Amino acid sequence: MADSQEKLLFPGCMIGNRIPFIEASARKVFDKLGVKVLDAPFGCCPDPVGFQSTDKESWLALGARNLCIAEEQGKSIVSLCNGCTQTLTAVNQKLKHDAHKKSKVNSMLNSVGKEFKGTIDVYHFVRLLKEEVGINKIKETVTNPLKGLKIACHTGCHYSRPSEIMQYDDPFEPKVLRELVAATGAEVIDYEEEALCCGVGAGNAEEDVGLLVLKRKMDSIVKSGADYIAVICPSCFQQMDGNQRNLQKKFEQEYDIPILYLTEILALAMGYTYDDLNLRRHRVKPKALQNKE
Amino acid sequence: MTFVPNVEFKKKLLDVHLEDKIKYCYQCDRCTSVCPVAEATNNRYNPRTIIMGAMLGLPQLVLGAEDNFKIWGCQVCDTCDEKCPNDIELTEIFNLVKNISVQQGTAPEYYTMQAKTILENGKAIPSQSAIERRRKKYGLPPVPKCNVDEIQNILKQTELDKKLKYKWVEEQ
Repeated sequence: MADSQEKLLFPGCMIGNRIPFIEASARKVFDKLGVKVLDAPFGCCPDPVGFQSTDKESWLALGARNLCIAEEQGKSIVSLCNGCTQTLTAVNQKLKHDAHKKSKVNSMLNSVGKEFKGTIDVYHFVRLLKEEVGINKIKETVTNPLKGLKIACHTGCHYSRPSEIMQYDDPFEPKVLRELVAATGAEVIDYEEEALCCGVGAGNAEEDVGLLVLKRKMDSIVKSGADYIAVICPSCFQQMDGNQRNLQKKFEQEYDIPILYLTEILALAMGYTYDDLNLRRHRVKPKALQNKE
Repeated sequence: MTFVPNVEFKKKLLDVHLEDKIKYCYQCDRCTSVCPVAEATNNRYNPRTIIMGAMLGLPQLVLGAEDNFKIWGCQVCDTCDEKCPNDIELTEIFNLVKNISVQQGTAPEYYTMQAKTILENGKAIPSQSAIERRRKKYGLPPVPKCNVDEIQNILKQTELDKKLKYKWVEEQ
């Protein structure tokens, strides 16, 4: 169900309150493409890994509360984060199809003057760019083609898995991120472990295990010859950007591949610079982009 | 380890699936063979064993009494869900098992800390003045404030506070 009206932006806790340069790049890209977004007083999505594992009932209720806020305004949600997208999509779907759960959640929401109806849709920004903006329109806004940039794509888990719930793109061979990166003129690089998780979730329980999963991913990307990694999830971004130094220490191997959010890649192609996008805020600094006009 | 099935426990886990799909698990091990955490830990985390314990009603096999990583190794990457030939939503079962572990007080600190942060602030990562200043510099609007009272009201109804043994300020 595609609707081309303005959407409510769901940046998520991590982008909004920890790495806001990503939100800034997203808003720049949306402006250029004529995507209108409004802000809303959403709470935590909440986290499909952390909070759902802790208490599923609370996860469902808080997710439903966020959906109610959007329903009250009659607007669909566009999320900048895989985790938020998965939570909101899953809660929306579960409550739409399970009358028992819905009435249980609504009895809680009623006490704060809310009711879940199931009237809005949840978009990952990648889906919005593909379905509502379209690859052709994105190509038209490219003023600085990223020729010569070799980019490996990492969509992360919660963008298209579980496929039964997400119902978008392919759970193990996702294509849309590759298409969007290619639209900027950059070269998309294949690598063996493209479907592999970044490992951030395992790191929640034991940091070293998270690093082992990340190492397997990064080694495969190093082998592919890619110079950058495109991501669409802030948890993947933080795991891959923040932990390359830790991998280096632990395994005495060099890792120096900058992680770029898709919105940063698009903004670069639209003519924004390293400084405009505050790319120096990355842990692995994409220095080669500094003087690129 | 005693192997006496716990019927209540079994029922609780089987009830996760309204369609009772878990019964169709024939222990083919595909979940474990595709699991990146099982691979990284030489099967110290093993999704197939959790499903076996759930089917047999053996909480000892499931709740990882001696090593909570046996359940908390699951990072909800949904790879096993996707590859299961019988469409069992393994992650749903693991979520329930982890929820039980939280109430038994055996969850890793990351999870309980995050839940307490949400209980107190309505967000997993609360707003900070340094970040708000940075947002302003980037030309971003302030992060809209969420209604924390409303969120706490809901979380008292789900009894998250009790499940976490959380003490509200007035109770301390």
